[in-house]
Amino acid sequence: MLLKSAAKRIFYSFVVLFLLITFIFFLVRLAPGNPTDKYISPKLSTELAAQITKSFGINEPLHIQYYEFAKNIFSGNLGISYTYRTPVEKVILQFLPFTVMFSIISFSLQLLCAFIFSLFSARRLGKPVDKLLTAVSLALYAVPSFFTGVFLIYIFSVQLKILPSSGISSTGSEYFSSFEIFFDYLRHMILPVVTLSLSGAALFYKYLRDEIETVYKKPFVGFLRSHGYDENFILRKHILPNAAGPFISIAGVELGALLGGAIITEVIFGLPGMGRLTLEAVLSRDYPLVIGCTIIAGVMVIISNFLADFLKAILDKRKLQEGVAG
Amino acid sequence: MKKYFTTGNVIITCCALLIAARFGFLIKVYHLFGNWLGFVFTDTQSAFRLLDFSTADHFLSALLIVVIPALVFIFRKSQVIAARINYTNLIIICIFFVFTLAPLITRVNPEFQKNISVTKLLPPFSKVKMLRLKESTEKQYSNIFQAEKNTVVARSFDDNLLFVDSIKEFNDKVFFYQSGAENSLEKSRLVLNDKKSIISKRLFILGSDEFGRDIFSRMIYGARVSLSVGFGAVVIAFFIGSLLGFFAGYSGKWIDILLNRIAEMFLTVPSIFFVILILALFGNNIFSVVFVLGFSGWMSLFKLVRSEIFLIKKKDFFISAGLLGLKKSNLFFKEILPVIIVPVVVNLIFQFGNVVLAESALSFLGLGVGNSFPSWGSMIDSGKNYITTAWWLILFPGLALFTIIFAVNSVGKKISSSITQIKY
Repeated sequence: MLLKSAAKRIFYSFVVLFLLITFIFFLVRLAPGNPTDKYISPKLSTELAAQITKSFGINEPLHIQYYEFAKNIFSGNLGISYTYRTPVEKVILQFLPFTVMFSIISFSLQLLCAFIFSLFSARRLGKPVDKLLTAVSLALYAVPSFFTGVFLIYIFSVQLKILPSSGISSTGSEYFSSFEIFFDYLRHMILPVVTLSLSGAALFYKYLRDEIETVYKKPFVGFLRSHGYDENFILRKHILPNAAGPFISIAGVELGALLGGAIITEVIFGLPGMGRLTLEAVLSRDYPLVIGCTIIAGVMVIISNFLADFLKAILDKRKLQEGVAG
Repeated sequence: MKKYFTTGNVIITCCALLIAARFGFLIKVYHLFGNWLGFVFTDTQSAFRLLDFSTADHFLSALLIVVIPALVFIFRKSQVIAARINYTNLIIICIFFVFTLAPLITRVNPEFQKNISVTKLLPPFSKVKMLRLKESTEKQYSNIFQAEKNTVVARSFDDNLLFVDSIKEFNDKVFFYQSGAENSLEKSRLVLNDKKSIISKRLFILGSDEFGRDIFSRMIYGARVSLSVGFGAVVIAFFIGSLLGFFAGYSGKWIDILLNRIAEMFLTVPSIFFVILILALFGNNIFSVVFVLGFSGWMSLFKLVRSEIFLIKKKDFFISAGLLGLKKSNLFFKEILPVIIVPVVVNLIFQFGNVVLAESALSFLGLGVGNSFPSWGSMIDSGKNYITTAWWLILFPGLALFTIIFAVNSVGKKISSSITQIKY
């Protein structure tokens, strides 16, 4: 049962990925503007210009280009980046490890905060502390991340001068010992991680707390209470597994979005991540790199959604009978 | 005590205060409007040629400041207006006022800049000494309307204003200093303030930016950009999402499967990537920003409408409406929309908050509505270059964004929780 629905799910994921690739390809090729503009000056001789255009492979008919493109993608060849002049895979591999680490740190921090605070609220539903926490989470969720980032830089880097404002290593860090490098790295990551995590943590908290509240209102909780079960037992065994379902879906979407790259945070703090790479690729019309980055972002979202569904199915066996498609 | 603090009373009080504060200015605008109406009856073509956006804006706000209290008074029994004022209502009233009455709230043009060396990067609540030259007589306008318009409508440039650091009067000459440079003027060329002093002062209530532009005025006009982008995008998302959702849910089968896969494809890539990609490829102006932001937000509405229609399709009233031979458009607008309107509105409200946020994020990345309009995101973006010296450049737009999104989300949450209470 599990295997069958997983196979179905993976098949649908591939269909979505294929649609995505097709859409991006046509979007990019139909846009005005030409990637060769940057390399061909009017002074260049016509043969040389034609040679350059040919090397980009963009004067073929569109359907031939698409065929070539699809063939290359499925044989694992993403093409050569126009700006970096190296294969796209290599460029992406330079930026991906940072993004994966960055987003996983931030994601675990968000989950941790959300869990701690919503468990704290779960015991005090409707009390002033709970209301305060809810209001704070709504407020934090409403702060734009670029404002948080710039504001944190102003306080901690400009006024207090205790944390660096950009990059991932200080100047002269190549002479540091490995421990110092690690510490230096840590110091650089504090502000970006806080910036990235605040609104997500607020969102997670709000979801989990609301779900817990809804489950608490269900009649079976009253039944358990009247039979003298311990409050902790009810919370652990009955409330949390029931509340986890929608929360896990949201967490899956959020993890995928984070792994695709956090554009704003990376731009503010000058971090070498996928978000900034995508932005630069788009702005310089580096078509293969744009497509590569988008595929990576898409794959990340698909994988994390899949993981979320898988986790949900394990936690709640009823989901398996309904089928995981959709 | 309780019944005095109703929403309607707050609105009327705000209008009254605004009228009192801008009374002379309003009279001028009405006079100008009267002149223009005269033009419309005599020479319609040139009247509409003379009417540019900012003039029309002034006329409209001058009319609305009278119409709004009247409307509130007429509908004073309605539930929304008689309700007690709270935080979200107050913010929404503020947003509405800023949106419609911007020329009355601030009389400084958001692009106005003069003597940058004196006025740049002023902290909040700073006053700048100002000299006003007499109107040069050789300037001839084609008609009276034009001449009067120039005195009423705030312009982005004024030849007759000088911002100075300090001045010194010497016989009939006036020496003034602008960041170290000394200049002089004949005293007779200056306009006297209250028949005595030649100096007047201008207050920069929230400070000024690196080009000496007034931040308060830029924020007021920037609100319009953010909000209209939000409204436009939400309307587009509503049409695309609900219509596609209707088709998918109503026809089922392969159309449903196809549209569902497409929606999933759009959900796969974070929408900010799509938006940036499309804007970078097809150029960014206000219309493309509105369209793209609306287009990137249709998926959640699509899923909502589709799943609701699957439920409605089995209901008796819908089947009988179909058997009566109603057209598809009528089926949607008359049978389905009234049923699903509340969750759809909640979705749209949350979407509005997201779009306002996304628009300012785009402006922050330099892909927003462009430099022709002030926008909160771009204000924060340019402010971050002066973060060591001028905190007010980023604080106020950031606060404004936060306030609006918070209010919008609270409204959405309030409505959605009231629905769930009804359901249970």
